[in-house]
Amino acid sequence: MNNKLPITRMSKFLSQDDFDLNIQMGEEYLHGDLNMKLVLYRVDRQKTENDDVYAEVGTDEIKYFPPIEFNGLVKIEEPKNVAYKTGLLRYLEPGNMTLSVYIKHLEELKIDIRYGDYIGYPESETRTRFYTVTNDGKVTSDNKHNMFGYKPYYRTITCTPVQDSSFRGV
Amino acid sequence: MGIPKRKLNVNLYPEKILGERRQELLEKITKSDTYLPETILHDDMDMGFLEYVNKNFKVVSNNVQIPIINKILTIQRWGEFTQNWSFSNEDGNMELPFVAIIRKPDVQYGTNPSVQRTIPDRYQFHYATVPTWNGTTMGADIYKIPQPIPVDISYEVTIICNRFRDLNKFNKKVLQRFPSRQDYTRVKGHYIPIVLDGIDDTSPMEALDGRRFYMQNYKFTMLGFLIDSEEFEVSPAVSRLFIMSEFTNENANMRKYQNKSLSLTNVNFTGNGTQTLYSVGESIGTLFGVSVNGVLQEKGNDFYHITYTHKITFVTPPPANALILITYYKGRNNVILDTYGKVIQVDKEVFTYTGSTVTFNVSNPISSVITLDINGLVEDEGSGYTVGEQSVTLLGYPVVGSVITVSYLY
Repeated sequence: MNNKLPITRMSKFLSQDDFDLNIQMGEEYLHGDLNMKLVLYRVDRQKTENDDVYAEVGTDEIKYFPPIEFNGLVKIEEPKNVAYKTGLLRYLEPGNMTLSVYIKHLEELKIDIRYGDYIGYPESETRTRFYTVTNDGKVTSDNKHNMFGYKPYYRTITCTPVQDSSFRGV
Repeated sequence: MGIPKRKLNVNLYPEKILGERRQELLEKITKSDTYLPETILHDDMDMGFLEYVNKNFKVVSNNVQIPIINKILTIQRWGEFTQNWSFSNEDGNMELPFVAIIRKPDVQYGTNPSVQRTIPDRYQFHYATVPTWNGTTMGADIYKIPQPIPVDISYEVTIICNRFRDLNKFNKKVLQRFPSRQDYTRVKGHYIPIVLDGIDDTSPMEALDGRRFYMQNYKFTMLGFLIDSEEFEVSPAVSRLFIMSEFTNENANMRKYQNKSLSLTNVNFTGNGTQTLYSVGESIGTLFGVSVNGVLQEKGNDFYHITYTHKITFVTPPPANALILITYYKGRNNVILDTYGKVIQVDKEVFTYTGSTVTFNVSNPISSVITLDINGLVEDEGSGYTVGEQSVTLLGYPVVGSVITVSYLY
């Protein structure tokens, strides 16, 4: 659909210029001051051959686009000590990672973040943790993701940690 | 009607192999160097189940065998935090996929029909009679064991993985071993049945934003039994002694041994104050002692006796109501044979206590002491004296100059 419907609501209080200015200031803080960088590993769904019956794919059989670095506001929940079976077979892993990413930033990079993509977050110089996207936050119709009711301006992406046996970078 | 087939050399009745098979099974449960079965306890069955799973449930995923934790998982923290398994990652977490074995802590009374409720209580039962030979004596040992205790041990074999195909492979592997719901394993030689009770799935499917994996539990019951070698009994059966004699010529004189026990005769009389002659009514072969009220009388001084006669003649009449005891062996001569025909001889020796030692050496090795008296007063063995190989030792100190008389067999 090529036709575009101009958004004129709230124009007496917030114009496109104001909208862009706010994002620009936000990016300056997020990208310049905080500079939280992440690496996005997008799954190439065309080239990846999956299972005919279950659509499963082996660990080393997933094909990826070249990794891309991007910025976002990172929030990682505290790790939970849980067990596979009651009281036995425990494991301790990071909590889910929640990213807040400007939609404009993704558009400038010409990328999209989708379910199943992998994201690497270097938590130290030597250790990068990998997460898989479990909620790509593409639906941004709520008040929180709209700037003063004008337009959506960021996405909240939820990721779950993955084990090395599932993904260990490209 | 069809034409009967011509009789060929076809063995219609298969050879009986049951006995051989039983012997084979017996040899497997007695692999050690005794005739008794191997001990089988809880940890043996746990180890047997681990080996069974490791051997039979191997599944390959992504060209790598799915690791099986080669331990029964318990709640002890050490087992969780050492994390010494090779498939743990940098955080000490186990990498998927893997297989774990968990045993339910409670071990129930067993349902194995072969050992269940046959005989009440746990008596020792005859297991085997094993011949023994120590070089001279042939005998046998009786081996007894109590009835084995049936136990049911429940295990859960859990596979945790990310791929549905791994579940399918594992499921196929397990069910191929249980086409009739039951399989067998051998634990220390014993045949132990394993029953597949069921399969359930506890995969956290509902978590969208959390970690997702498949987890399936295969529930097994091992119908085992307990045999504890601590309860075995080995006792000797009746042994037999073979005495073999060899002679160099046909006319050799054979000595005839008599099985004869040495029996002494005691005859009691009561004195009347006037009578001096007392008769025992039979010939006295060997006279051991004559006492009046416990005081030993001296032959030739206090009384007279002619060998092989039946009479005792006192010099002075014993007092009225005095207890007269005459002890003798009524053999025809003074040679006594023991049960093996060996000649037993009697000797009597007299010592005088000088105050230097209470041990008195006799002339012959003592077989047994008949009487020992001090100044005519009889002493008891054990409380009054002890017997050495060729000596007697008083346990008290008599008056210096006391006369000690020892009568003994040698």
